[in-house]
Amino acid sequence: MLQTGLAAAGAASAPGVLRAQSRPPASRTVRAVMHGDIPTYDPIWTTANMSAYHGAMVYDQLFGVDDKLEPKPQMVSKYGVSDDQLTWTFELRDGLKFSDGTAVTAHDAAASIRRWAVRSGTGQLMLQRTKDISAKDDKTFVVSLKERFPLLLDGFSSPSTPVLFVMRKKEAETDPMQKIDTIIGSGPFVMNQSETRAGSQYIYDKSPTYNPRAEPASASAGGKIVKVDRVIFQNMPDSQTAVAALQAGEIDFYEIPPIDLLDQIQTDPAISLINLADLGTVGYIGINWLHAPFNNQKLRQSLLYIVNQEEMMKPTFVDRKWYNACGGWMTCGSPMENDANTGWFKGGQNLAKARELMKEGGYDGRPVVVLQATNIPYMMNAATVFAQQLRAAGYNVSLQPMDWANVVQRRANKGAPDQGGWNIFFTSSGGLSNANPYMIGGMATTGDKGWFGWPTDDKNEALRAKWINAGTLAERQAVGREIQENAWDIVPHMYYGQWRQPAAHRKNVTGWLKVPEAVPFWNVAKA
Amino acid sequence: MLPVMAVVAVCVFLLLHLAPGDPASIIAGENVSPENIARIRTQLGLDLPVWKQFLVWVGALLTGDLGHSMFWGDPVASLIAQRAEPTISLAITTLLVAVFLAISLGVLAAARAGSLVDRLVMGFAVLGFSVPVFVVGYVLIFVFAINLKWLPVQGYVPIADGVGLWLRNLVLPSVALGMAYVALIARITRTTMLDVLAEDYMRTAKAKGVANRRMLFRHALKNAAVPIATVVGNGVALLIGGVVITETVFNIPGIGRLVVDAIARRDYPIIQGVIMVFSGVYVLVNLLVDLSYTLFDPRVRG
Repeated sequence: MLQTGLAAAGAASAPGVLRAQSRPPASRTVRAVMHGDIPTYDPIWTTANMSAYHGAMVYDQLFGVDDKLEPKPQMVSKYGVSDDQLTWTFELRDGLKFSDGTAVTAHDAAASIRRWAVRSGTGQLMLQRTKDISAKDDKTFVVSLKERFPLLLDGFSSPSTPVLFVMRKKEAETDPMQKIDTIIGSGPFVMNQSETRAGSQYIYDKSPTYNPRAEPASASAGGKIVKVDRVIFQNMPDSQTAVAALQAGEIDFYEIPPIDLLDQIQTDPAISLINLADLGTVGYIGINWLHAPFNNQKLRQSLLYIVNQEEMMKPTFVDRKWYNACGGWMTCGSPMENDANTGWFKGGQNLAKARELMKEGGYDGRPVVVLQATNIPYMMNAATVFAQQLRAAGYNVSLQPMDWANVVQRRANKGAPDQGGWNIFFTSSGGLSNANPYMIGGMATTGDKGWFGWPTDDKNEALRAKWINAGTLAERQAVGREIQENAWDIVPHMYYGQWRQPAAHRKNVTGWLKVPEAVPFWNVAKA
Repeated sequence: MLPVMAVVAVCVFLLLHLAPGDPASIIAGENVSPENIARIRTQLGLDLPVWKQFLVWVGALLTGDLGHSMFWGDPVASLIAQRAEPTISLAITTLLVAVFLAISLGVLAAARAGSLVDRLVMGFAVLGFSVPVFVVGYVLIFVFAINLKWLPVQGYVPIADGVGLWLRNLVLPSVALGMAYVALIARITRTTMLDVLAEDYMRTAKAKGVANRRMLFRHALKNAAVPIATVVGNGVALLIGGVVITETVFNIPGIGRLVVDAIARRDYPIIQGVIMVFSGVYVLVNLLVDLSYTLFDPRVRG
């Protein structure tokens, strides 16, 4: 209480006039309501997207991706690989500085790669093949491999969390399992920590030390030129209020306006809708392999003939221009999309076939426990509809409503469904992450060491390893077909659709760049 | 006061820790291994037995330390302090508007008991108590912010940035939050005033020719004040509950929003800290209400 009182007194005595004087004008400030709150400022320690959004503001990347999702140098000026593809050498651009004024060196880059690699799926694969990551001098660092790793630049440039952001060596040498609270990066913005109010608003000012590339901006590649003085992430949990604030001009950008309010937004001549992520988001249905009934392959296969993605998407996303059904194991629209073993999808829902498989699998009428996150509308609606589809096929469904915090705890329970466990849960994944058999944990089939659902399949693991070593896109696509062929036989998990959530912005705020799973604020201008 | 706070501390801690939900899984993000989630649980001390976690928390609490947010790592005390001004502002403006309006309406209804005015006031009271705060909030936003553009949709401006701007942002939330409070106080004011007005000494005053306004406000209202003050004090709980919703609807970065967001994430130290502060305020307000009886009723002083 005493501490609270003293802190309150301190806050109350802050010089308000001074604060007002240092505040940039509204015409140079972009106010944005993002999809959620920033849970922690360390974008390596967590895979939470909002922490990566924060990271993209204050840190820079060695490589970015252009609008074709191809890796392009960002902090790196030039790079090369030895003929045997085992030694990668990188040189940093001139003039790179952290926000504390110190120069970015190769030592910072090497330490940042090492910390990131421990937490990233691609990074872990790289580490398994790595002999050494070290700086040769202040500008040059080298990654020495034991065996070739064609995905190295894809990993360095990926916008999927955790993103390889470069931190000072001092912070980057922190145990990857420990959180970093110091926020000093070399990115296009600097976090204004004195005016930031955690949980309420996060303030980012244009960095005076940032040195952008000369090329035009393209996704997370090219020149990250900041065209406003300040960006404010406002945490606004009520969507109705956020839409009203956008219409009133109190905010400039709303990342996830509810689809059912889009008609209201579209009638406002001052507001535009924009699709910032072509690959969108993929709805993921987790299936528990450890317990009956879905420890049985026939019964998992029956689910493929029951799921009707169209019906599961429509209640939330209403118009087909915002969603689509997808029969691919990897994201539709990505280079890995293919139609191998998708007869179940092309034929549409087939309850007769599902019942046949249920009979072959010996379904005994035991309840199927479905976890339903009621505070996330698309998951809630998908679970409601899927429960009904399962019932129509003859499954006995126990739909268990709870909030997301409860789902994430419950899904970790490996116990039997009637003893606190589960059979089915719903989540979602970025379209880019899902376009890669290694980016998300759900693609693995490593049993109880793996992700929630704990599927086991050696063939899938062998194919994933083959995919990594594929040297060209065509080779990866061919292995991708094999992975999918196998996946739809064993059914480690399923999908309930794919959607592209449009963002809404005031028309006087322009220059939005498309980066999968991120929203950049460089290049954004306000008239 | 201390026994009440102790009971609150035990109840809050047990309710939170026995309820399902895992902050470590939320902090970790979606695409992480169960091992990493387990590491975060260990770092946060969530792997300790509940009784040990309770002792750690209470030990710190006794030294005035409310702990640190599991998410941002900031001290809970400073998070509450950052959010205190908007909440205190909203509570005070709501209280002032509500008490002034409610007592005026209650006295008016009592003075005109049985008339159309009385029925209108009581109808308004029923409506105010029945319509949820968020519905009132959305209607006010639609009419006064979107259509008429008189007032802002959302947000809070610190009083240091100008009293006018500060008040402008508080008008809609205060009215929305005050509706239920006005209804509650107006009803009790009317009832109590009717009881007092039926007393012999009021008839005597009337017979002696005391002016109506003087009789109502000088004699009747003062004697009706004790139950009204009690309801105002008890209503603080209603106000606190309403603050949580109002701050969400109007995007006011106050303590209510802080706790709502913390509940969704299971940020235990923030939830526990805020509830301890709210319960302390509630106990303190009721203590002040008890003391105020001495002002209204000299018999209590004896």
